Amino acid sequence: MLVPVLKQGDVLIASIQAALSDADLLQLRDELAEKVGRLRARGVIVDVTALDVMDSFATRTLRGIVQMTKLRGAETVIVGIQPDVASAMVQLGLTLNDISTALDLEDGFALLASSLAGRHRGG
Amino acid sequence: MADQTGTAGHALMQQMGITTENIERRKRVVGLCPDDLARIAAIRDAVAGNCEQLTSQFFDFLASLEEARPLFGNREMVDRARRLKSEHVVAMVQGDYGTRYVEQRIELGLIYSKAALDPRVFLGAFHHLVKAMGGSVMKRFHDAPHDAFESFMALEKVAFFDVGIIVDVLIFERERVIGRQQEAIRELSTPVLQVRDRLLILPIIGVIDTHRARLLTDNLLQAIRAKRARVVVVDVTGVAAVDSKVANHLLQAVTASRLMGATVIVTGLSSEVAQTLVTLGVDLSRLNTIGDLQGGIEEAERLLGYTVASTPSPNGHSPSVHPQSVQPESA
Repeated sequence: MLVPVLKQGDVLIASIQAALSDADLLQLRDELAEKVGRLRARGVIVDVTALDVMDSFATRTLRGIVQMTKLRGAETVIVGIQPDVASAMVQLGLTLNDISTALDLEDGFALLASSLAGRHRGG
Repeated sequence: MADQTGTAGHALMQQMGITTENIERRKRVVGLCPDDLARIAAIRDAVAGNCEQLTSQFFDFLASLEEARPLFGNREMVDRARRLKSEHVVAMVQGDYGTRYVEQRIELGLIYSKAALDPRVFLGAFHHLVKAMGGSVMKRFHDAPHDAFESFMALEKVAFFDVGIIVDVLIFERERVIGRQQEAIRELSTPVLQVRDRLLILPIIGVIDTHRARLLTDNLLQAIRAKRARVVVVDVTGVAAVDSKVANHLLQAVTASRLMGATVIVTGLSSEVAQTLVTLGVDLSRLNTIGDLQGGIEEAERLLGYTVASTPSPNGHSPSVHPQSVQPESA
């Protein structure tokens, strides 16, 4: 199952549409890492609204995406974690501690905008 | 009316899971066997002929008890109970203890339950009734005490069969009340309130156990999604005691909310609670805490970009905050 990666301004949006296999996740990670550089993106939003399960591998891959894109000069926000998923993740100790999260795509954009603006101001 | 309550008895019977097999099982438990039916048939007239008098004995005895006062306070209820009891006395010696019989017992049990009759009070009165029945039987068989005893013991099995059903009804009804109250408490115990656009307040009052903490977290997460909250103020002023378990539950709720993109501010940690948490060594470094609810709301408004401006009231008294004056800063 391919995850479409859309470009909106200098933000890339990866909208996950259905449950992903481990290979799909790795492919998404690689694709994002590559596109961030090629398209000179400043921000990445990964939308997981459609996921009703988030296991440790998915969490680890998301963390990988965040760190890789960061090294490539873009900030990543994970958006749309469902209440049940959040609850289950916390029970499993998958807390995504140092990763930005937002309620939905709209909030994700707002968060990226404000943090990118802060970065500009900060120099 | 009779039909209506008839269905009530029938409905309760289904809810209690009393099926035909269950009735047979109950008969086996009290040892009611076909031989008994023949013995009961022998005393049918002695008991059924006396049914009005026996019923009166049951109710006269109940009336003499302080505990049964609620039943006798309701004329209509006591008349119905009396009629059902009189039918019961006749039915007890008819030899047919099937679904219809059980249904009638349940109906009577429902009346006792409505009158808040304690099982022990009912048992006392019922014993009185059985004793009176024994008297009637003895009178009929005064020349054959052995037969009288056998017949009476058969009747007593039916009596215990009845007692089993009535007590079950009383317990079932009581448990139903408890269940309803628990449900009400559960619903009351986790209100999530919206104070401004994208700002929720979750006041926690009372004792938090694992079950409630889970419920609380679930409700909070659902509300975050439904109301698109970005900041949540969790006020624990009403939580008297906190242990490491509760602190962990709180942390889990905070972490899960963060995963959904909401910031959580915890307010109202009392000095005792703070001391306990520090003594326990719970790591609360990831917890965003502010002294009181007011401070928490102010901080939340700051995070959301609201400013509160006061305007002088028209008659020149102390300034008041108008709803219009609470405005999000234009970004």
